[in-house]
Amino acid sequence: MKLLTTPGLSALLVLLACLPAAAHHNGATYFDTSTSIEHSDATVVEYAIVNPHGRLHYTFTDAEGNEQEWSAELASANNLRRRGLGGEIFKPGDQLVSVTGNPSRSGANFMRLQSAEFADGTVANFSGPNRGIIPGPGRDAQQ
Amino acid sequence: MLSLRVNLGQLWSPISAAGAAAVIFALMAGPAAAQADFEGIWNPDHPPRMGQPDPSTVRLTPAGQAEFDSFTPDKDPTLRCLMPGIPLGLVDPYPIEIVQQEHQILILYEHFHQVRRIFMDGREAPDHWLPSFIGYSTGEWDGETLVIRTTHMRPDNYMWTAGFPFSGDENTYVIERWWREGDVLQFTGEVHDPTYYEEPYVVGGRWDYAPDGEIWEYECIPEFGGIE
Repeated sequence: MKLLTTPGLSALLVLLACLPAAAHHNGATYFDTSTSIEHSDATVVEYAIVNPHGRLHYTFTDAEGNEQEWSAELASANNLRRRGLGGEIFKPGDQLVSVTGNPSRSGANFMRLQSAEFADGTVANFSGPNRGIIPGPGRDAQQ
Repeated sequence: MLSLRVNLGQLWSPISAAGAAAVIFALMAGPAAAQADFEGIWNPDHPPRMGQPDPSTVRLTPAGQAEFDSFTPDKDPTLRCLMPGIPLGLVDPYPIEIVQQEHQILILYEHFHQVRRIFMDGREAPDHWLPSFIGYSTGEWDGETLVIRTTHMRPDNYMWTAGFPFSGDENTYVIERWWREGDVLQFTGEVHDPTYYEEPYVVGGRWDYAPDGEIWEYECIPEFGGIE
């Protein structure tokens, strides 16, 4: 996984913190914002920067040993690009300790991404007032 | 640019009879002729909930309630890569550029490349005009406030993606009021839809002047609409 430099991380932290609080869609219509689900040991398949919403595709192995494929919705491509987040966060093959989000009300393998944690402890947080890239303890050691 | 602005470069040269008449006309025109400069790029800075009303305050008619109860996400036009138009796009989350011409004011949206033409020359919607997402808008100045009336909106649109419906029938119209406070452009929109609402559905938002702002392409792929 390509690691960001410290200035790059700082910039991302600031830029993510500036993401608008108001999205175009009322998220609670499509996702159950009262609860979160978490998937462990996920592998990134694709990080798509598109409109009307970006998408993180990933797989993980459930408790029964079955591989599941899921998608997590992000802000729009224009929002992500305008804030310098055009595809540098996730790459295919990245290993994620966990992926957390609000589940779709439809019951599909689909969520609204809240956060994802990398193996080095770095957290990409897309929800709430502390949105941003929070470097983990292992990230500095690898730089 | 605007018809009633005084051209100082012309007037402070040796004043001709025509120039003097222009000065007198401009002075006599008074507040009724006032208008404001909205030109430029504006970035969204809308209040929480995208300027939509508190859902608990919205009073639906029985017909409106039935539509609300049957709403499903796949009915949201923007998730199918169709422009939000009016009324759904009244409060838009992407930059806009406003161009003021003699006969019309253009609002150029980044979002879905929407173009709103607000006719300022007194015309009315022609009989043949078909309903559209963007509708048919006419405007006039009330002092320095731009008042826009929009009709001919499509029925398969929404007030807001929480499921608040919009009938788009012949009784629907929208009245917007836009005014500038320094580098902030404020607006309110009253959506009149007596078929679905007991009283007008009111939204409001604000835009921040962005002289260095940019309007980008907004390509859209329906498969990423999030209808799952």
